[in-house]
Parts: sequence; structure tokens; C-alpha cells
Amino acid sequence: MDDDRSAELFRSVVMPHLADGLALARWLAGNVTDAEDIVQDAAIKALRAVTRFDGGNPRAWVLAIVRNTAFSWFAKHRPKALVMVGGLAEIDEATYGDEPQPDLGPETPEATLIRRADASMVEAAIAELPLPFREILVFRDINGLSYREIADLLNVPMGTVMSRLSRARARLATRLAEKDK
Amino acid sequence: MKISERDWEQLNALSDGELDALSAQLLRRRIAESPELKAAFETLESSREAVRRLEQPEFSDELRRRLEALAGPAPTTAQIQAKPDLLSMWRQLAASVAATAVIASTVTYMVMAPATASAGIDDLVTSSHRRSLLAATPVDVQSSDRHTVKPWLDARIGISPPAPDLKDKQFPLIGGRVDVIEKEAVPSLVYRHNEHTITLMAIPGAAGTSSPVLVASGGYNVVRWDGNGFNYWAVSDLESQELRDFVNDFRDATSAQP
Repeated sequence: MDDDRSAELFRSVVMPHLADGLALARWLAGNVTDAEDIVQDAAIKALRAVTRFDGGNPRAWVLAIVRNTAFSWFAKHRPKALVMVGGLAEIDEATYGDEPQPDLGPETPEATLIRRADASMVEAAIAELPLPFREILVFRDINGLSYREIADLLNVPMGTVMSRLSRARARLATRLAEKDK
Repeated sequence: MKISERDWEQLNALSDGELDALSAQLLRRRIAESPELKAAFETLESSREAVRRLEQPEFSDELRRRLEALAGPAPTTAQIQAKPDLLSMWRQLAASVAATAVIASTVTYMVMAPATASAGIDDLVTSSHRRSLLAATPVDVQSSDRHTVKPWLDARIGISPPAPDLKDKQFPLIGGRVDVIEKEAVPSLVYRHNEHTITLMAIPGAAGTSSPVLVASGGYNVVRWDGNGFNYWAVSDLESQELRDFVNDFRDATSAQP
């Protein structure tokens, strides 16, 4: 009976959001093959946990599982790639002190240059973002989560979401304008 | 030209529809007056657009098969594709309303027989409209700019119907909100005509189009039609002819969009 209940919940709560989960995993992992591995692992975890789903936002719940699974997967398959996570506090706490706007560069990147960027440039620019920036950008602009949902999912204050997201976009815009020259 | 970190954050929040109505209005005024802010906002919008344009991966057949195996034998083949929840939502909605109609075998439903799913939804849509009129403001995001309303709705529920401002036709766009119909979040656009408020609810549906049909529900006029992949309901206390005019203007404006 429990298995039936799990399977039913899995179909109604988890399955509809696995495509979003795959998109998230693709940008976290950098390629679709690894992303599919991650999504499959995440789906197994979600199936086990789904009877404990509290009825909140199913998409955010599924994406949180995909994200956590991705990190476990990285720890196992790419142990060296996680070293940068230590820099997280630095990223959030860096102040702009002497340089008022290092992320945006000396000039605001030109919108016309960015509009000409093709998909491969955009993909490369996203891939270059440090993981804490990249995941927030993907949560917002690809998965379409609100600031509140992202803050809850990452268990960080809204202000941190705003600041990381805006810095991620500043870096991205600068990179896109450069690459296009 | 440089702008401050704080201004850049505020521009981001504006673009994401995360500013309250007053802050958004003040910031828009500043953008209009400052070439630096305007340039930065365009930069922001164009890079967001570049990200949104990217194609997202689809499941390989192999992964799809494994996921479906995990879920066990389904009553119907579970579909995994981009936003299948939205595609199936209309069907669920229609089914649940039809079920309600059957269970609530009251005189009302008997008289209205055949009780179609649409008739039930008319009532739900009308109730949402009435509730919005009782609230302090009928909108959650206040803007006449579809570039604000659409991303705001998209961010919250992943659905963003066309939202043309019809000010030229005397139906200015006031903003948008999220309504909940049978536990499902659906986008509503809010327009005004003189002192009357119009709620336009858009539920993702089949690709077909159908001509507007006028019905009355709970003292309001309701026009429903299909187009642009949405099932639309327009509700207002406007006279039926004025509401029809609104619907025609909306359809003209949205069919002109690429």
C-alpha cells in the first residue's frame, strides 16, 4: 500500500518538475549526460521521501532535491571541483569599498553587444560563473523561482539572494559584452 | 558609466517583479531621468533575455523509461516534458469541476443541465473577480507595462499570457495577480474601463482558437474564448457590449503579436 501511495505521489508531485530539475542539473553539472545521472539519482531519493512531502511548493521541493543530489554527485565524481565552495562567505561578504562597481566593470556593458551574443557564448558565460552565482541565476532565469522560493530553498536571507543574483548577472553581462567584441 | 551596487540590485529586483508597487514606480521615474540607469537596465534586460532564449535539455528516451519505471504502472502514461504540469492543469481543472458538478447534484446544477465544465469554471472565475474587488487592490503587481507584468507572472507560476496595454482603446492595463482556481495557481490580468475593473484569466490550454461566447455568472458578464494556447475568461460588471469590445481589442492586439 505504501508503495502504491509513494508511486502515486511521485507521479503527481515529482514527475511534473523533473524537466525543470534536468535543466537545473544541466547547468550545475555543465553537461546533459551527467545531468541525467543526477536527475535519476534525485528521482530515486524523491520517491523514497515523497510521503514526507509537506504539501508546500512541489517544484521548489523537487529542485532542492536535485540540487542536493548534484552536490553529492560532485563530491563522489568530481571531488576537486567542490574546493571553491569554501569561498562562499567571501562572495557574499565582499564589499565594494574602494571600487564602487567591480562586477560591472569600468563601463556598463552595452546592451547592443549582448543582444548579438549567440547561444554558445551565453552557455560559456554561464558555465564560467562560480557555482553559488550560477545556481541562483538558473533558479531565477531558467527555473523561474521567486526570490522568496530561492531564499527558502537555499536557506539564506532574501538579501543574499538579491545580492548574489545581481552580481551573477553583472558578471554575465560583462562577459557577454567582452566576448562579442 | 558606473551605477552603484544598490541601484544595480534595485534594477534587478524591478526586472524580476520583486519590488513593491511604490518602489517600482519611483525607480521607473529615476530610470526615465538617468541615461546611466536606463543603459544599465537595458543591459540587464538583454542579458536576461539571452539566458531565457537558451534551449533547455529534454529527457533522453532511456532516462524517460527509467523514470516511468520508478513511478510504477501509471493509470495513464505519465508525461515528462517541459512544464507538463501546466499542460495537464486545464484537464485536471475541467475534470475536477465536472466531478464537483456531479457530486453537488443540487437543483442549481440540474436546472443548468447539461452542466459543462466551463459553466463551473465561469463561477469560479467570477468568484475570484469578486474577491479581488473586495481586496485593497485588485492587483499584486501594478504596472501598465507588459514587460513587467509578464515576467512577474512567469516568475511566480511559470505562466505568462500575452499582456498588451490597451490604453489606446480605453482599456488600460492595471497590472496582474495570481488567482487560485481549484488549488491551481492561474494568471489574471487586470484592465480598467472608466470606473470598471476587468479580470482576464488565462489558463494554458490547447492550441486551437474559438470565438468569444458571452455568458452571465453571478451578476457579472463573462466572455470566454480560446486563442494563443490559452483558454481565456474575461469578467466584469461592464455592459455586455463593452466587454465584447474589450475582448475584440484584446484579440486584435494579441493576434498582431509575433
